[in-house]
Amino acid sequence: MQSLTLPFDLAAGWLQEHAILPALYALGLMNWEEVAFGWALFAVYGATQVALTYAICLPLELLWPVERWPDSRAVTVDIFYTLVSRVGLLPLVTFVLFYRAQVFLNGWITDQGWVPPTLERALPFLFGHPVPTFLLYVIILDFSEYWRHRLSHVFDWWYSLHALHHAQRQMTFWSDDRNHLLDDMIGFVWFMAVALLIGVPPMQFPLLVLLLRFVESLSHANARLRFGWLGERLLVSPRFHRAHHGLMAAGIASVNYGGVLPWWDILFRTADFGTIYVPTGDPSAEEALATGGYARQQMAGARRMVRALGAALPARTGRIAR
Amino acid sequence: MSFSRRHLFTVALVGTAGLAAAARAASAGGLVLVMNSGEASLSVVDMRTHAELRRIPVLREPHHWALTPDGRGLLVGDTGGNELLDLDPGTFALRRRVPVADPYQLGFSPDGKVLTVSGNGRNQVDIYDAATLKLIKRFPLARTPSHLAYAPDGGRVFVTLQDNGRMAAIDLRALGVLWVEPIGRVPAGVLWLRGKLIVALMGDDGLAVVDPATGRVERRIRTGAGAHQVYPSPDRRVLWVNNRVAATTVALDATTLAEIRSYRVTGGPDDIAFAPDGTLWITQRFTRSLALMDPATGHIEEIAVGRQPHGIFMNPAADAATLSASN
Repeated sequence: MQSLTLPFDLAAGWLQEHAILPALYALGLMNWEEVAFGWALFAVYGATQVALTYAICLPLELLWPVERWPDSRAVTVDIFYTLVSRVGLLPLVTFVLFYRAQVFLNGWITDQGWVPPTLERALPFLFGHPVPTFLLYVIILDFSEYWRHRLSHVFDWWYSLHALHHAQRQMTFWSDDRNHLLDDMIGFVWFMAVALLIGVPPMQFPLLVLLLRFVESLSHANARLRFGWLGERLLVSPRFHRAHHGLMAAGIASVNYGGVLPWWDILFRTADFGTIYVPTGDPSAEEALATGGYARQQMAGARRMVRALGAALPARTGRIAR
Repeated sequence: MSFSRRHLFTVALVGTAGLAAAARAASAGGLVLVMNSGEASLSVVDMRTHAELRRIPVLREPHHWALTPDGRGLLVGDTGGNELLDLDPGTFALRRRVPVADPYQLGFSPDGKVLTVSGNGRNQVDIYDAATLKLIKRFPLARTPSHLAYAPDGGRVFVTLQDNGRMAAIDLRALGVLWVEPIGRVPAGVLWLRGKLIVALMGDDGLAVVDPATGRVERRIRTGAGAHQVYPSPDRRVLWVNNRVAATTVALDATTLAEIRSYRVTGGPDDIAFAPDGTLWITQRFTRSLALMDPATGHIEEIAVGRQPHGIFMNPAADAATLSASN
């Protein structure tokens, strides 16, 4: 594991030493030095994620496409989402916020004479075994993500934001990160609450995080790819996740909510292991959500959420009046 | 500094290193413990073979250490894990874990009465009873309390506040804050030297010489961009300064603070341990390595350790053969 992460760490170190530090020093921002090194690590691993995904998924999409489009301009905005989400400022902000929240919360817990929660403390046999520890963290977080994702399809106001993700009719491996900012923020708060509860160590397992994010990107690929009877039940495949994005599965009636593991869909009876590669998109979404630029999509998502909230309020008031 | 004086110090450095080479040959061993803050582990390195013997897992994020006043305990602060690890300094066997909030920098007072812990992330400085490790008093001190130094009598502790360019002085007898004064951009390492405080300014290009009574900056000394840490040599004749941005380690005359020599040390030089053979063992935050520097020649040998190595503890008397098998 150490030798595998060495090139990434050295690249981040080089970036920090030769580009970031001189810039911070020149700008009088050296108090951001530690945070900047965190971002350098994120950026290197994020860029590698993007490159790895591109190198593997692009040939798959070219060789075995589900759909061919005469014009794929709608995909361009997804590339922007991906770069912002994986290499840009977003991971830095989330890392800093999460790290600071963890420092304050766990410090406070320690002050009360309690022990801050971590899986390794709850299950001491994990201590010193990073791979099984990480896998257990993944299983718990993926379970939590299943429910966040499923609930985002239940509430109209929430799905109004999430519809941006579903509106893409030209779904490719770039589509994983196309999300409304508010949806991302809700997702972050959700993730943070669970991660704080189980004591997730930020950046302790960067290589494994890279592989998981690859699985999530691959699951959106426009490729005829299944993992076989058993594989489909172990890991989310492009075929499995495509069913979730199907035209008929938009909104409340969807299936296959799992992000990395299909286990929760099996357990809660939302799994669809059919073999059909369905067309994707959300017929209820306005065109701006499907083919608009970044700003138009964000605005359209926000408008739709406001409308959904507006529609919900009178209905609730009416129920109370009765 | 005149040429002759500069030359004299260079000779002194070379002489020290020469003696050291002999000592190295005769050395039976010795162990070094490196705190890998980016991967939750401690690297144990054999001083004789320069091989990493073991990587000891810890909970989250070890940064710094302090030797107990009786020399029998080595406290390593696991900042993210919110605990102090009490290790045997000879074998690095874990003796106990002590829950402590956000332990970043830590150090026992020279009189052995208290342990000061800087809570870098929580903007607090905690004073603990050295014998019982019970919290005596917490000082909320914004922002980002970092390195610390004591007055020789143990009556005051001085803490740099990295993110607002200030330093705080705490009276350890009356348990009150004496002053909080601006001293320069991003103050980091701090050292008591002959009645003055020497502070490395990471947002600047050198050191500030500060009056400990008032917090007033009396002089500035240029060493290089991004001065981060300052250490006295074991004989206290030389000050060693690591400049993070300039990627240099600079030797200063501890009396005059004039530069003796500057060495190129890349990879984010941070903490230093001084080997009996005269070599400097410097953690390199950005390259997962230690730089072993011979001050006579400037030659550097790098040893691979874990991610983001930060604090470094050296025990020349420890022997690899007695290295704890229990960690």
